[in-house]
Amino acid sequence: MTDYVDAGTAVNQGEFAGVTGFAPPVVRGLDHERLLHARSEPQNWLTYYGAYDGQRYSPLDQITTGNVHRLAPAWIFQSGAAGIHAGASTYAFEAAPIVVDGIMFLAGWDGWIWALDARTGSLLWRYKHAVPFDTPLCCGNVNRGVAVAQGKVFAVSLNAHVLALDAETGRCVWDVPFGDVRAGESATVAPLVVKDKVIVGSSGGEFGVRGHLDAFDLETGRHAWRTYTVPGPGEPGADTWPENATVRGGGNCWITGTFDPELNLLYWGTGNPSPDFDGEVRPGDNLYTDCVLAVDPDTGEIRWHYQYNPHDVWDYDSNMENILFEEDGRKLLGHFNKNGYFFVLDRTDGTLVRVTPFVDRIDWGEISADGTVTPQIYPDAEGEPVHFWPGPGGGKEWTHAAYSPRTGLFYVPAQDVGATITRRRQEFKEGNPYWGASVAVDTEDMAGYLTAVDAHGREAWRWTNDVPMCASVLATGGDVVFTGEPTGEVNGYHARTGELLWQFQTGSGIHSSPTTYSIDGRQYLAVPSGWGSWADGFLPGLIGGSHGDALVVFALPEH
Amino acid sequence: MTITGSPRTLSDLGLDRQNHGTLGRLLNSGPVAEAEDGPDGRMRGRLRVVPDQMVWDPAVLYLPHGGRLDLDIVNDDSSTHTVLLPSNGDKQFLALPVRSRGKAHLELDGPGCYWFSSVIGNDEGSGLTGAIVVGGEVAEQARLDRPEQPRP
Repeated sequence: MTDYVDAGTAVNQGEFAGVTGFAPPVVRGLDHERLLHARSEPQNWLTYYGAYDGQRYSPLDQITTGNVHRLAPAWIFQSGAAGIHAGASTYAFEAAPIVVDGIMFLAGWDGWIWALDARTGSLLWRYKHAVPFDTPLCCGNVNRGVAVAQGKVFAVSLNAHVLALDAETGRCVWDVPFGDVRAGESATVAPLVVKDKVIVGSSGGEFGVRGHLDAFDLETGRHAWRTYTVPGPGEPGADTWPENATVRGGGNCWITGTFDPELNLLYWGTGNPSPDFDGEVRPGDNLYTDCVLAVDPDTGEIRWHYQYNPHDVWDYDSNMENILFEEDGRKLLGHFNKNGYFFVLDRTDGTLVRVTPFVDRIDWGEISADGTVTPQIYPDAEGEPVHFWPGPGGGKEWTHAAYSPRTGLFYVPAQDVGATITRRRQEFKEGNPYWGASVAVDTEDMAGYLTAVDAHGREAWRWTNDVPMCASVLATGGDVVFTGEPTGEVNGYHARTGELLWQFQTGSGIHSSPTTYSIDGRQYLAVPSGWGSWADGFLPGLIGGSHGDALVVFALPEH
Repeated sequence: MTITGSPRTLSDLGLDRQNHGTLGRLLNSGPVAEAEDGPDGRMRGRLRVVPDQMVWDPAVLYLPHGGRLDLDIVNDDSSTHTVLLPSNGDKQFLALPVRSRGKAHLELDGPGCYWFSSVIGNDEGSGLTGAIVVGGEVAEQARLDRPEQPRP
């Protein structure tokens, strides 16, 4: 008989990763009042968009148009990919870094969550959720960020769990599944904390699921409410679908909403109907897909809706940000849709105020000034290819515009790329992709730009690129606007003229949401760099671009 | 040479052995086993590095549902290996000296396939990669409110 060496018991791999294991208790006092007034703490970036209004604007003004050219890397954090994981070739770094009093909370792909010293980049703790590598994904292994409140860090896992971690240790406090991976659901959204609840939405609109928005109690994880974004039989909107079609109707909520505390309304966008391109099997407007929903955060009740794309057959998800702003005392929201139009709504009741195009090539159809939609080109006949602009990646993808109250301008990452779609009828099978078409996005004759428009859609300036722009924009009090390029450059522009003032090559394409913060008066710019995801859908011309996983943080020299 | 030959097995082609049909052993071509489902709700299983084969036994460990798994791990090989295992919270790591045995305690959601391996040199490419495969359905409260749908 052989004597064995005692190898002991397996331990957290983080014990061999130079992790301290503890972060200061900066989130302990982060309550609803502080989140309501997040912008009054410009040193922090407390929510996904920086504040509930979704403006992605920071009042920080140390970095200016006069000194931005001196920005240099302060530190870099990398994780790297190891082993087999979901989306082995489509993972991407899409997060928006959250910062609370010098501590950064960051989500990576594949269930990674990190706490970092935001001054040095030192890793304080890490959490890794085990994610099945066969999780069904339309668009890659991604996560768009965390939320923080009441001593906890909230995130979703790719396999559709919502997690609450102790912000000081990274240990799991509660873990609740809210989606069915066997049905084709997953989760990629950055949660939103409103009052005593954490709110999340599901992904899976390319798999014929039924979209939903869910709220959980911050402390216990108790499920507070679920609101389906496509109605059940007899519910309002059911008459906009054929019988039984809503149960696989899509309308997922995979991008974070905004919130008006005075009106007590969430503004949450919904995704494409399923199947994406075969409208013949779902005649009708298909509510509430491609909508902004005004939702009561206490109950989940839908108070009103506005549908940007009735009966969508172009894959024009309408999840993207609804930016809250005021004009002559009127409460409005602005939304740049994949269909290439900029919508301004009265956010008290959803009335359309104005709609204007923001990209050059739009031929799928037209939207008149009163909001009437007239489709012109769409996949209608089986097996017959049609080409339209914008393609299913949209005139603007999920990555976010910014709004500066200093300039009164919206800054929009625009994509000018078309696609050829051929309708192909599919028999629905749970867990299989359910697009209803063959899709070929253009790899030539494309362009992109960062465009600045006012609330009337009038263009103030445009910076053009030879490939689509698909990183979120950040506006700052120093009148510098930041965004990234698919080829890896992070750029700083003059907010009033569009002049490119600074550029740094990060080594991999940027498809994330840069944020800014300060520590002891020094302003930092944090840029997740890591190309991948659904590049075949929005920029196949760069599907071979370098992968990466770096968070690159910049600051002005100290001396 | 024909383009469509008659069906062959891994063994015919020498792909189930180290340095025969190709350099390493084809991934996950080792044995399959099912974990025991204990009365306390915990599952138990065993992983073993087979001598001179660069393969886990089992290479596929099936769990009937998500939950907690207690693993006994044995390295019967004459080379040093490790094991890196998936678990909620952090990956679990254990060094496996020659002729050693140890334990691991994992927590996994269900359903889905999770990867594990030895993370020394190219143990992973050579064959010491395996899968913990969790069956079952997600919790009822997480499922969609809809009738049963057809599956492939």
